[in-house]
Amino acid sequence: MFVVVNGKTCNLPELRTLDALLQFLSPAGPFAVARNEEVIPRGTYEECVISTGDRIDIVHPTAGG
Amino acid sequence: MNGPQMEDQLNLYGQSFSSRLLLGTARYDSPSLLADAISAADPAMLTVSLRRQTSGTKDSGQSFWNLLRESQRAILPNTAGCFSAREAVKTACMARELFETNFVKLEVIGDELNLQPDPFGLVEAAVELVKLGFYVLPYCTEDWILCRRLIDAGCMVLMPWAAPIGTGQGPRNPRALQELRERAPQFTLIVDAGIGVPSHACQVMEWGFDGVLLNTAVSRALDPVRMASAFAAAIRGGRNAFLAGPMSVQEIAVASTSQIGRPFTFDLPSH
Repeated sequence: MFVVVNGKTCNLPELRTLDALLQFLSPAGPFAVARNEEVIPRGTYEECVISTGDRIDIVHPTAGG
Repeated sequence: MNGPQMEDQLNLYGQSFSSRLLLGTARYDSPSLLADAISAADPAMLTVSLRRQTSGTKDSGQSFWNLLRESQRAILPNTAGCFSAREAVKTACMARELFETNFVKLEVIGDELNLQPDPFGLVEAAVELVKLGFYVLPYCTEDWILCRRLIDAGCMVLMPWAAPIGTGQGPRNPRALQELRERAPQFTLIVDAGIGVPSHACQVMEWGFDGVLLNTAVSRALDPVRMASAFAAAIRGGRNAFLAGPMSVQEIAVASTSQIGRPFTFDLPSH
């Protein structure tokens, strides 16, 4: 399946849920995730079904003014 | 802390803070320098941001996250770099999920050159974020109509600029800032951006502003830790001066020392 992760198109194995995708990508914490520009609350990753073409954004804390 | 100091707290959406300084966390040469500057500044809040992980970096913000937690300061996520209301609202929602706070420093930038806020996008985003339960601290200009629209949107705190971000020019439009203070006495006003030296911060505090948000003036000083300490003292000094009530300015000189009893003088004989 094709999923756009942080703006880059990735060819990934079939993954049904966001939880599975995150386990596959294993981003270092802490992070927050959006699917198709909608924030997905942590604790609901297993219920969040992903489809080919979905856009996933994973963000981390950084310094800011 | 004595009684009057206990009572004089910065109020942000019902939360009280003993410090009136908000400190940005960007552009420090090292994490340890940032940690020391935080200790010296003793800020009410730390501003932070969020970004996608840069490819090749292993840390992913973990060490920064640890530094924030160890500082035990309240966190104020920003929407820096957003050029539309839609983008700013989405970023704020991500920030709330990441940092677990309803506070947001709302930035909607309208011009790439001077990073001036986009007043139209700012109001649009503020309306939406207030509906979503955010405690919005909008980075705005000192324009009264814009500030009134933000208040109408439900903002209890406004953060007018002194000058464009990172310039260190100090208050560009002093009269308008003072008028804003006079016209919105019941709202919390924090001067954000453009402050360069402690005297700028002291000045706006003397005018009655409730706080100052700083970043570059501290992080790009030759000695950021000492500068953080200087700003903290200036903000306290300005606040105390405001509370003390400055004297009124006079048009002509008024002698401080009594003229009565001056030596080497004599009364002229009356005829």
